[in-house]
Amino acid sequence: MERKIGVYICECGPNISEKIDIDKVIDAISPYEDVSVVEKFKLLCSADGKKFLEEQIKKNKLTHLVVAACSPKEHEKTFMEVCENAELNPYLFQLANIREQCAWITEDKNEATKKAIRLIKAAIGRVRYHSSLEKIEIDSIPDVLVIGGGIAGIEASLQLARPDRKVYLVEKTSSLGGLVKNFEKTFLGMKPVSDIVNEKIHEIEKNENIKVFTDSEVEEAIGFFGNFEVNIKRTNEETEPVELSVGAVILATGATLFNPEKNPEYGYGKFDNVLTSLDFEKMNLTGKILLKDGTTPKSVSIIHCVGRKDKEYCSEICCMYSLKFIRYLKDKLPNISVQNFYSDLVIPGKTDQKFYEETKEKNVDFIRSSNISVAKKGNQLNINYTDENNNKKSLLTDMIILSPALEPTNDASKIAEITGVSRDDEGFFAEEHEKLNPISTSTEGIYIVGCAKGPKNISDTIVQAEAASGKILSSLIPGRKLEPEVKTSYISESFCIGCKTCLSVCSYGAIIFDEAKKVSVVNEVICRGCGNCVAACPSGAATIKHFKFNQLYQELREAVK
Amino acid sequence: MTKALRINESTEKGIIEFLKFLLEKGKVKAVFSLKKISDNGAVAYSLITDPDELKDAVPFYPLMPVNAGKLLSRFTLKEGTRKPVIAVLKPCELRGFVELLKREQGSLENLYIISSICCGVFPSKTEVDGNAEKNLSKYWDTVKKGEISPDIRSVCKACEEFIPYTADLTVDYLGNNDIDKKCLIYLNNKNGEDLAKDMKGDFSEKELDRKKIDKIKEKRLAEKKKLYDKIDSKMKGIDGLVNVFGRCIGCHGCSKVCPICYCKLCEFESPDSEYSPSNYETELRKRGGLKVPPGTIYYHLGRITHIGISCVACGQCNDVCPVEIPVADIFKKVGESIQKMFDYIPGKDLEEEIPLVTFKQEEFAEVEE
Amino acid sequence: MNKLKGALIHVKSNIGNTIIDLLEKSIDKGIFDAVIVPMKVPAGDSFVYVLVKDKSLIKDGVPLPPTMFVQGAKAVSSVTRLGEGNMKIAAVIRPCETRATIELSKFGQTNLENFTIISMDCPGVLPTSDFLKDPEKNMEIFNEAVKNWDDKKMRPVCQICDKSSMVSGDLHIGTLGAKKDTCFIISNSEKGNDIAEKLGINLKDNLDSWQTQVKKLSEEKKKKRIKAHKELKSKVEGIDNLVESFSQCINCHNCMRVCPVCFCRLCYFDSDKVKHNADDYLTRAEIKGSMRFLPDTTLFQMGRMMHMSLYCVSCGACEDACSMDIPVAQIFSMIADQTQGLFDYVSGRSLDEPVPLVAYKKEELHEMEDAND
Repeated sequence: MERKIGVYICECGPNISEKIDIDKVIDAISPYEDVSVVEKFKLLCSADGKKFLEEQIKKNKLTHLVVAACSPKEHEKTFMEVCENAELNPYLFQLANIREQCAWITEDKNEATKKAIRLIKAAIGRVRYHSSLEKIEIDSIPDVLVIGGGIAGIEASLQLARPDRKVYLVEKTSSLGGLVKNFEKTFLGMKPVSDIVNEKIHEIEKNENIKVFTDSEVEEAIGFFGNFEVNIKRTNEETEPVELSVGAVILATGATLFNPEKNPEYGYGKFDNVLTSLDFEKMNLTGKILLKDGTTPKSVSIIHCVGRKDKEYCSEICCMYSLKFIRYLKDKLPNISVQNFYSDLVIPGKTDQKFYEETKEKNVDFIRSSNISVAKKGNQLNINYTDENNNKKSLLTDMIILSPALEPTNDASKIAEITGVSRDDEGFFAEEHEKLNPISTSTEGIYIVGCAKGPKNISDTIVQAEAASGKILSSLIPGRKLEPEVKTSYISESFCIGCKTCLSVCSYGAIIFDEAKKVSVVNEVICRGCGNCVAACPSGAATIKHFKFNQLYQELREAVK
Repeated sequence: MTKALRINESTEKGIIEFLKFLLEKGKVKAVFSLKKISDNGAVAYSLITDPDELKDAVPFYPLMPVNAGKLLSRFTLKEGTRKPVIAVLKPCELRGFVELLKREQGSLENLYIISSICCGVFPSKTEVDGNAEKNLSKYWDTVKKGEISPDIRSVCKACEEFIPYTADLTVDYLGNNDIDKKCLIYLNNKNGEDLAKDMKGDFSEKELDRKKIDKIKEKRLAEKKKLYDKIDSKMKGIDGLVNVFGRCIGCHGCSKVCPICYCKLCEFESPDSEYSPSNYETELRKRGGLKVPPGTIYYHLGRITHIGISCVACGQCNDVCPVEIPVADIFKKVGESIQKMFDYIPGKDLEEEIPLVTFKQEEFAEVEE
Repeated sequence: MNKLKGALIHVKSNIGNTIIDLLEKSIDKGIFDAVIVPMKVPAGDSFVYVLVKDKSLIKDGVPLPPTMFVQGAKAVSSVTRLGEGNMKIAAVIRPCETRATIELSKFGQTNLENFTIISMDCPGVLPTSDFLKDPEKNMEIFNEAVKNWDDKKMRPVCQICDKSSMVSGDLHIGTLGAKKDTCFIISNSEKGNDIAEKLGINLKDNLDSWQTQVKKLSEEKKKKRIKAHKELKSKVEGIDNLVESFSQCINCHNCMRVCPVCFCRLCYFDSDKVKHNADDYLTRAEIKGSMRFLPDTTLFQMGRMMHMSLYCVSCGACEDACSMDIPVAQIFSMIADQTQGLFDYVSGRSLDEPVPLVAYKKEELHEMEDAND
């Protein structure tokens, strides 16, 4: 088919016309065989300009369009729309930037004109090899996947679920509630919490817009905002995974306690009556605080910052819940003596200091110490420590409660891999911006809330869960359409040898491997057209639409000729 | 009677003068010819646009590092050259190019061909071993006498198609005593005449010396018989095939340098030719053992089936084989027997269709019931 | 890295027969269903890898042939590329072929699930063209060379190979440092341990004498290597020397096709991307007044080097296959030492080492960053 390329040069008011000799440019471009028309116009992006272009395309029966004007960032979309209106495929068009990259960078009219000619010739060289590309539209999916059935996941699910927005809540253990379901009360208010949590769990079970998957894990979550393809599998069972599509994902996988067995000086797992804070919460919830032999303890020591030297961060909540423990103990065993072995006390917030003062009043020792080690002495435990005056001391006690650091769950790395969310140096999920975008991630549509992104208390967790829900409610609107990337990658089946190099470098999980044919295949809906696979493929079996080798080669060639 | 141009220089110099004339007068924009490309004496085909660069050109040097027909196909594969170019080719290279043109693998547009009555080329390793220069004067002596140089490729010694069919110009070397003083170029058609117009030299009407040609053909036929007898003795039956191709390492070099092999992805390198685990299991069950990688002889039989009809017996495959299998000798023999069945000479006539895809209602009645 | 375990075993007649014996026993006991082992071709002028199931055919095996016609990794890959099948297979290949096999496995070109690799101390291989001059005589010359561990006639890259006893497969036959009529069977993996046990071989012997000799030899070779590379570097350094070194290249691409780690189905340098218009070629020619056609010979060599240098096992197959006798292997091997050295990577050393090209490390190559950062 005969090519008829139309080249239109925008004067852009004085911006281009005063810096480039447009007539000279027209003279230089006109002789090209397949350029059927070269014209200039005052302002192509104006209503008149767009009308002019549309008429020109139709009148001259143009097969390709080149516009020499401003930056594609400004008006590529504008002129692509003009093409569409003129029934010319919008990808048979190339914009040559002779403003920002030419007129605006030099005062020398001669040089600017020469460069403008090169840029337009390059655009012509490229557009010759353009192919028509078609847009596709898919429905954005309003449903949400919440990974983690702790308080963050529960809260988000309740906020989001409604008839036109389903929530899929996946929990790896057999029951919802996470860490919080083990707490009798919360610190500061000392209000009962486990009842409230149970009530919320009940609400979820009643809610027909929330589907709960317990004893389950997410195996796959690939896609982009509005369209994630998800696989949920029951752990330890040979059943088929459930395949779902959702529009957004909330990671609410919480945290776990640092294992004090890694620091054997605390005697956890070696001696009886050495508990972690979670062990103690569970014991407290039964209503009875007892030693291993069934008797009641007369003294309890709480050792703060267990694992602190292994982790380079403070877990924020331990000092506060240690104060809560003191209250638990004093409520149930009023005559009990309690010691706190700490290095620093972290008591932020507007009511925390008061809570601390009031707790201290109840005859509790706060011992600033270091170099703590625990030994067995008869039926009791002997704590050896160095006090703040550098004296070596020791103290006998009946029960020890350790406050270990909070760390990411051990499946955090798997989830990070599945979702493509990055993690910080400590292994918690990383936010997009620590101050200004604290619950979004670099993947649009995936949010991180609660302890999954760092140790925090319950109220902050609830805030984040509600924030993520808010973001989703306002942006993921039922009925909205999505236009996935048009300029996607394509891998030739005949030339692919199955080395999976492209898979290793795809940041979006958009390449799947066909085990039967032993070749890589691109999921065009998920592909963002970043080009990593094209660069990495050693044989060139992977190519990108609209950035084909020949298109780039011819553009370059004309530019440097 | 054909028009001819006699330039009063040695043939070697005369051709250079002629090519220079064409470039300087703008009759062509580029010359495609063998050229000395480095100080160590390496010779390679080059596109020469500057007449001064012709000083290093060696147009009919007895070497064929690559089959130039394949190169011209690459040159004009995407589109014909818009500027006129003249290419210096040996007859088999030209025939190879014509066979490729029949398969849409190039274009003759704006392309002129100058060829010669061919005296053969040295195997490529001669160059590498540093013997090309040394053997040159011996070579030219045999050329002058119309004899067969002992140093040329085996298929060159046995070649009967040493007169080009479709060239615009033909240089006459073979059997001419006076190549040190004169350069004789036949102008085969109007293109040739137009190119030669105004060139310094004597124009006349000449006839190819048929007697000389027939004598040379006789000698070549004798060599061919020797070559074919040698192949027959080594290659009887399946055992013979295994004997000759047994050491093939499947590098496919023969295919890559062959002018006629033009597929982007060879069938024998495609997923179709891969053996699956169950294929291996079956073979082992049947035979107890199997050479790996498999398909060695299958590849050669397949290749002769695919290209045999057009094999121009240039001999590139012999030169490139790392294990010294006489592929060219074998393919020449087998190719010729296929071509004889159809009375087909590959590359003789651009208009003559490839027998494989030509339907004739009456054909091969002898194989019918 | 696994700790090597070994046993000293008795050698009947020669090492080759001992290995064949072990293979036959293994098939008998069902440890393997088939083996890949070199054999002489009927014409007697070459050796090929054969996948054998029939015990009666195994006895014709020649475990350490004088030449490497096909790189063993290519033979292995052709058997298991499309999956491991139902057969347990063992291959007897040289250390560099082993390393290439392991490297190919990282790219999904070989499946090592039901596969056992058996290597041996390697004295090198004769260049193919030398061998073909007189196969019978050269077989004798090779056997003598093995006896004295004399590498003078071997491939140039074999002569400077410091990895000729490197163990990266499952089992390895150690001949160095072993007293007369004995050799070591060395296991490098659970698979190898298992097989030894099933064969009744107790891997409890001391490997010191082997390890000492191997170390000594490797250090000698390393010295030779450094010296050879220094000389070669001066010959190919700089753009003029580089172009000159490859000036004879006719772009037949034999080197690329026989290379075990060049696994692309359609090489970039054979694809449409290097096919241009006549007009483009002429424009390029006009710049200097003359342009070699086809151009970009050096680009092919450098491009191939860039693509596979990290995986090069310095086997020398490329140089043997070169139709113009260019010292390709020597050049590529020299560069491979440097590119792999940059990442502390040895191609094929271990299946557990990820390919540097796609392995992300947060802290890496700081020395390449801008000095002003």
